[in-house]
Amino acid sequence: MTQPKRLIWPLVLLCLAALPLVNADSYLRHVVIVALLYASLVSSWNLTLGVAGLFNFGHMAFFAIGAYAAAITTQTFGLSPWIGFPIAIASSLVASIVVCLPVLRLKGIYVVLVTFAFGQLCYQVVLNQRDITGGTFGIVSIPPLELFGYSFAEKLNLGYYYAALLLLVLSTAYVKRLIASEFGRSVIALRDNETYAVSRGVAAAQNRLLIFAASGLFPGAVGALYAFYVRSASPDLFGFSLITLGLSMLLVGGIGTLWGPLIGAAVLTVVSELMADLGPARYLVIAVMIVAVLRFFPGGLAGAGPLLARLFRRATGKPQEQEP
Amino acid sequence: MDWIDSILAAAQPILVSGIVLASLYALMATGLALVWNTLGIFNFSHGIFMTLGAFVAWQFADARGYGLGLSVGIAVSVAALAGLGVLFNRVLIAPFLGRKDIVLVAVMTTLAGAFFLENSALLTWGPRIKQLERILPGNIKLMGSAISLHEFLIVILAPLVLLALWAFLKWTRPGSAIRAVGQNRDSALLLGIRVNAIYALTFAISAALAGGAGVLLGAIRFITPTMGTEPLLKAFIVVILGGLGSFGGTIVSAYLVGFMEAISTYFFGAYWTQAVMFGLFIVILVALPRGLMGRD
Repeated sequence: MTQPKRLIWPLVLLCLAALPLVNADSYLRHVVIVALLYASLVSSWNLTLGVAGLFNFGHMAFFAIGAYAAAITTQTFGLSPWIGFPIAIASSLVASIVVCLPVLRLKGIYVVLVTFAFGQLCYQVVLNQRDITGGTFGIVSIPPLELFGYSFAEKLNLGYYYAALLLLVLSTAYVKRLIASEFGRSVIALRDNETYAVSRGVAAAQNRLLIFAASGLFPGAVGALYAFYVRSASPDLFGFSLITLGLSMLLVGGIGTLWGPLIGAAVLTVVSELMADLGPARYLVIAVMIVAVLRFFPGGLAGAGPLLARLFRRATGKPQEQEP
Repeated sequence: MDWIDSILAAAQPILVSGIVLASLYALMATGLALVWNTLGIFNFSHGIFMTLGAFVAWQFADARGYGLGLSVGIAVSVAALAGLGVLFNRVLIAPFLGRKDIVLVAVMTTLAGAFFLENSALLTWGPRIKQLERILPGNIKLMGSAISLHEFLIVILAPLVLLALWAFLKWTRPGSAIRAVGQNRDSALLLGIRVNAIYALTFAISAALAGGAGVLLGAIRFITPTMGTEPLLKAFIVVILGGLGSFGGTIVSAYLVGFMEAISTYFFGAYWTQAVMFGLFIVILVALPRGLMGRD
């Protein structure tokens, strides 16, 4: 059983890497790029919301900050996009640490409210500082990424495709190592039983700050790549809709698991694109999906395999295994 | 003594616009606080309830809708919102009660509910802006500055509604039951209070209050699918400043926030005010997590 399981993900990666060789359709290319970007974005959100159990609803704001940081560096100040990248990552890292400081003292619903309020604060500042951020119109005609005179937009955005894939591989490897590390296990212990974890010597505040910082790296990178790819940054990135969409990816895929958010991002992007003709009606479907998953499949798609296996065993009358 | 004159000249418009804002915030925030105190969940759909209140009233009242007149529109709107509140509780809250992570789950389900209703409103009524008639036409002079009679009505009506709600919670049996469930759910169950019915009632009252606020606001601002977002965020600020769990604190803080917003708008302009309010909100949450008068 372990052998085929281990092969699935390298196979998926191989298919994704080979896809541009067989695909000449610009629309499909775009959908896959968007799905790859979402996958890195929500799997880093999963670190705070899922793995650490911290009610962080500011993650999409970190992403938007990354996009704006990249846009301002390159469009407003005319610097190279390759300088935009580290600046975007640094900005979203700083933002996540700033948000985390008040969160360290708070619990439950207060954490949700502070992180929401932070996003709204950023949104208002972006609207205010029209000279720098373009106000409600956002920043447009951001320069594209180039490397050795080769534009990433050439050959149906081939450069962006591989950049997004590389980012996803990096972020997944990063999340996987982080969860398996001693630090990751401390964070999970804090989530599952804070009193016990603290009594065993896990430093609660320090671990929370670190996991926030750890999850704040990738939204900046994804934001920058997104801004260079669509060549704009708009204040809509701070809106409720993006938060809800990201949330639906985490929930549908399986919150707190390693592969769940990736599956969720792929499924939701495809479903959302298939329903593109419906206009706003597709958001009704997504909203229903969120509630249905919370109600009937709290584990999401990542939990569907074990669930099916259990149902199968029950149906065939074989003795049930104890849940680990 | 020029500076006194200039302060007085500034004070009048601040007082007047502050008290109008404050009255609306009080209506919104009280509904939000009522649900929090009783069910222990934060309703992110509260803003869209307000939007729908305005849209339903418009649909029944306006000549481009069914044209039945404003009073029918208001009555239908408040009743429809109360029904929607019950439905929301049934679909989005009741199935999840008793779960350990109910606070987070309720944030997600009500956020999804808001997303659903906002896009339904967009599909049903389109993005074109609409406006309700004013309940009372004409203007009145209040403390030296002219405001519309409609706004004056808001200022008078809001405290009356809140007073009625307070009397209901204090002296009637269902009101006492709501407070009992909020204080101790298990004891309330043992006393034979039908807790689920009380939850539905609480949600109905809360949604009706938001719908009423929407009807009032829909005549002074434009009705759009996103009109409820800003009042919702303001209601968050009000409820947190007042302290979760305190009815009086919520009302005092609604008036405080309304006046602070008016003062800030007068001196810093409308754009900066929003940023100032959210900055202040975060500071309050960190410095006084229990708010001005909150309990645990």
